[in-house]
Amino acid sequence: MEDLERSSNMDDLIPVVILLVEDDPADQKLIKKSMLDQKISNKLIIMNTGEDALEYLDRSKSAEPGYPVPDLILLDLDMPGMGGKEFLCRLKTDDALDTIPVVILTSSASEQDILETFKLQAAGYIKKPPTLDGFCEVFSRLEEYWFVICKRVPQRQLSCAAIR
Amino acid sequence: MDTSKTTVVLLVEDDPADQKLAKNALVNHEMDYALYAAENGEEALEYLQRSKCGDTESPRPNLILLDLNMPRMGGKEFLRHIKADDDLCSIPVVVLTVSDAKTDIQESYKLRAAGYVQKSASPQEFQKVMDKLAKYWFETSSVVRS
Repeated sequence: MEDLERSSNMDDLIPVVILLVEDDPADQKLIKKSMLDQKISNKLIIMNTGEDALEYLDRSKSAEPGYPVPDLILLDLDMPGMGGKEFLCRLKTDDALDTIPVVILTSSASEQDILETFKLQAAGYIKKPPTLDGFCEVFSRLEEYWFVICKRVPQRQLSCAAIR
Repeated sequence: MDTSKTTVVLLVEDDPADQKLAKNALVNHEMDYALYAAENGEEALEYLQRSKCGDTESPRPNLILLDLNMPRMGGKEFLRHIKADDDLCSIPVVVLTVSDAKTDIQESYKLRAAGYVQKSASPQEFQKVMDKLAKYWFETSSVVRS
């Protein structure tokens, strides 16, 4: 996890925390590389399964040090055990976690998957690009949308202040 | 992204000046899209009911841009209604408002907004913001297409 500190205003000193729920090691690697390239200071947390991700999130809920609440969740659909849709469903029924935006990042181009995940309140659906350049472009757009033009959910900023 | 299909955006906004700003900002974007406007939550719901019935004059939106402060029915109430509808709940709604109040941000995300963007008074700034918004929703993300 790399922190690329570059800016001077308060918001950027707190790296954005992105939780990646993804089991494929090659995709994990590609995503890690694209994150390093981004302008915004970020912290990438990788969980291999839905179950592990939920466990991480449970700890972050109780403000356990070292388990910051994510600002954004990137979610694969096709994973062993708990699939992405079930994870999303569980997340959206949890009062402490349901405001965290979830963006699907998958190799599936199925219209049915797009429909079902938007019904489950995903806040974006991105088909995994085939190249590193493609990933970098996607991440740049993701960051611009979620961390430059969109206002962030206040709860995390509040909990950050509490920890400091 | 399938560029042969037009992306339909429903803008829910009561202020004529802000409607114009949003329209102009999207018109400058090169993507193939169609913009429909409603002046408040009630009108927007009526539009969506018509779209459900297959009214060709009211095509189903792929994305909704939603102001919060509107007469008759405000943004939060509209959001509550649409997210309770089993059919309409799959349409992403992005809040587009002057308010940067933490309560408004928190409540909007709680009501399942898929983004919260503060309107800029400067047309140039607004243009830049709409460009990034359009890039995310029209180029990066897929949306539900019926």
